[in-house]
Amino acid sequence: MLELQPMLSALWRNKVPALLISLQLALTLAIISNIVIIIQERIEKIGRPTGIAVEEIIAINVMAIPQDYDMIGAISADMDLLRKLPLVKDATVTNQVPLSQSGSAGTFYTQPNQKVGGENSNRYNTDPNFINTLGLKLVAGRNFTNTEMQYYDPSEIRDVNVAVITQQFAENIYPGQDPIGKPLYDGDSHPIEIIGVVERHLGAWVDWSKAGNVAFFPIARNTQDINYLVRAEPGKRDEVLKTLVEKLSERDPQRVIKTRILSEYVARSYAGDNLMVKVLSIVAATLSFIVALGIVGLTIFWINQRAKQIGVKRALGATRSNISRYFLVENSLIAVTGIALGSAAALIVNQYMVRDYSQPVLTLVPLSICALLVLVVSLTAALAPALRAANISPATATRSV
Amino acid sequence: MIGYYISLALRSLRSTPILSALMVAAIAVGVGASMTVLTLNYMMSQNALEHKDDVLFAVQLDSWDVNKAYDNANEIPWQLTYKDAQALLRSDIPTHQVAMHRYGFTVELEDSAIRPYTADIRVTTRDFFSLFDVPFIYGGTWEKTADGSPMQVVVLSKATNEKLFSGENSVGKTVVLNSQPFTVIGVIDTWEPSPKIYDVNNSSFAEVESLFVPFGLHRKLEIYSWGNTNGWDSGEEGEGYEGFLQSESVWIQFWVELSDSEQKAGYESFLTAYIQGQKDQGRFERPLKFALSKPSEWLVLNEVLSDDNRVLGWVSLAFLLVCVINAVALLLAKFLRKAPEAGVRRALGASRNAIFTQHLIESSTIGILGGIAGILLAFMGISGIRYLAMGQLDTVARIDWVMVAAAIGLALIASLLAGLYPAWRISRTNPSIYLKTQ
Repeated sequence: MLELQPMLSALWRNKVPALLISLQLALTLAIISNIVIIIQERIEKIGRPTGIAVEEIIAINVMAIPQDYDMIGAISADMDLLRKLPLVKDATVTNQVPLSQSGSAGTFYTQPNQKVGGENSNRYNTDPNFINTLGLKLVAGRNFTNTEMQYYDPSEIRDVNVAVITQQFAENIYPGQDPIGKPLYDGDSHPIEIIGVVERHLGAWVDWSKAGNVAFFPIARNTQDINYLVRAEPGKRDEVLKTLVEKLSERDPQRVIKTRILSEYVARSYAGDNLMVKVLSIVAATLSFIVALGIVGLTIFWINQRAKQIGVKRALGATRSNISRYFLVENSLIAVTGIALGSAAALIVNQYMVRDYSQPVLTLVPLSICALLVLVVSLTAALAPALRAANISPATATRSV
Repeated sequence: MIGYYISLALRSLRSTPILSALMVAAIAVGVGASMTVLTLNYMMSQNALEHKDDVLFAVQLDSWDVNKAYDNANEIPWQLTYKDAQALLRSDIPTHQVAMHRYGFTVELEDSAIRPYTADIRVTTRDFFSLFDVPFIYGGTWEKTADGSPMQVVVLSKATNEKLFSGENSVGKTVVLNSQPFTVIGVIDTWEPSPKIYDVNNSSFAEVESLFVPFGLHRKLEIYSWGNTNGWDSGEEGEGYEGFLQSESVWIQFWVELSDSEQKAGYESFLTAYIQGQKDQGRFERPLKFALSKPSEWLVLNEVLSDDNRVLGWVSLAFLLVCVINAVALLLAKFLRKAPEAGVRRALGASRNAIFTQHLIESSTIGILGGIAGILLAFMGISGIRYLAMGQLDTVARIDWVMVAAAIGLALIASLLAGLYPAWRISRTNPSIYLKTQ
């Protein structure tokens, strides 16, 4: 029933426009399928669970003005103050702000004096309140106690005795074993005992290949500046934020105090990924739209050009649906050619994307979905002109022949 | 004749407003998207030290862990240890040399209403300003002795001088940094290298620091870096701040100016001899390796233009290509629909060339309109990017006149390319067919 032979010869006579549509569809498929996997990867990255109560936390940076400031004394006094504030759930001191792209890392080993084959981890110097303040979940062992805290000068070397680590870090450094009670070494002979495991904490850097490897130590150092994290009662963050600078400055004016909500740090850390998602989505959407408009324009032109032939066909007994179907089948032929070309192009382009620009690999499933999408766009664009073609009156055939 | 063709072109555009608008929009969107991304990539690829590209070099020494290469493209740490930086500074081969790192102080004035605030500081040797060609408004850099022994002097950025001293000559006045008095000895003029070539391993698009202090202050103020500090030999660090200074941690950025190839060769043999000497003392256990990178090479090595930016660049060019093909198809449709007109003109004596030119002018008109609309879209795109980057790309996400001209040029080339085949095709029209059916 499909008149493929005459259709192909008609296409051949109009090969340039047909080719142009195929080419557009092919390029569109090649671009969109590669874009889609990048978007998908970034959305997954941004959506990763952080293990942190991001929306309830405020980060405070305190920088002492005097050169020989007693930061350790200040930490205890500030913690007392912050934890007693109304609407504040808890507060903690830390050497870095989580998810802020700035922090400290180290390499840890399972054997004393081991120098090779260690596992990298983000390291926090914090106090026992970090679990509650960050909203972490202790899944094994115990938290630090206040008596395990060590306070000392940044230039001093002290051995730390205990650590709480993330489940991910535990699985990486002691695969398949119970980490509780096992030692960590940082290149010397002093063991640090793993006393607790928290379910998840993404750490300081969102782009790091080892993100999620985190170790917490009960340390606070007498540095010129320090970070506090304050967790507010749910929904009360902005209310708490307003009072913090004033309260801390009131207690001791000898510092410069800066506050920022944690969700803003997170947004800034993911700004690059978010930019990719937004820009690529806009490109994909406009691209499909423009290609669709192009197809509409060209199909209309085509139908106008062949108005007489359509009229003749109708006069010779072709039904309206025959005419519409003819144009839709023709469009599918063009689209399928384009999709075949485009799939090959997509896979070739993807090889370069993976090799040179470390982007994700394009697999068959997303490619097929994009191909289907391109086919749908193409057919939808052809639908209205094809239906219009069916309206061409058989009388056209009798005119000006 | 050209004027006539232009009026024909405008009339033709008006006769099919929807199709014309569609073509202009397709070109505009293609140009807008590619100009947005290309502007960003172009600004990110700028080299503020281009005029000194042959004489400036970033220095890297491979002092890293014998068991594991440093994790970057050339497997040499980006920065130097403090003791190596001090040793290199003793060389008298380079014309200028800079050892430096990022830092921060609280800033206040004595007897002033200005609230104390924290500021980004650059701790550096005196040659910073001459090596990077930083212009001074008032005063100048510090004495050489300040790079070896503590002297509390400071150079202010123009903006800081505006803020603290309302822009007047502040040389000789006192600024209080972390409660220590510092004497102002210079104020630099506006200087905004972007990317921030001298400090790409912290943040390539950050602003220049607001104060500069000498390299001789480390021991007195126990200064740690506010940039990256990377270590591998955690076991053997000595006690106290001195232990940190003598450790294998890398945190000092190092640049030299070598005026000719002879000087460069001399410096290379100096570095080789230095590393050999250190090897004899049990340091530098990895194979002997160092690198001197020109500013242009340094930008590439540090991947200032990231993979993501390159992907966006290619995507936008492919996007423009689709828009051009789209325009070819639409122009073809439009021109062929007007084939009878062309047939009549041919019959009345117009040459093929004339028909070709007429239609090419019509397509360039579309191109110019599309280009203008595309520039507007590019401005919107750039502000969109500034918004999405949350201020982190403000120094590079801006359009200059070069890019405006490039946008119009790109649109014109795109539309001429798009118009070429359709115009050729219509100029081959056989007039007799159309005369028959009229």
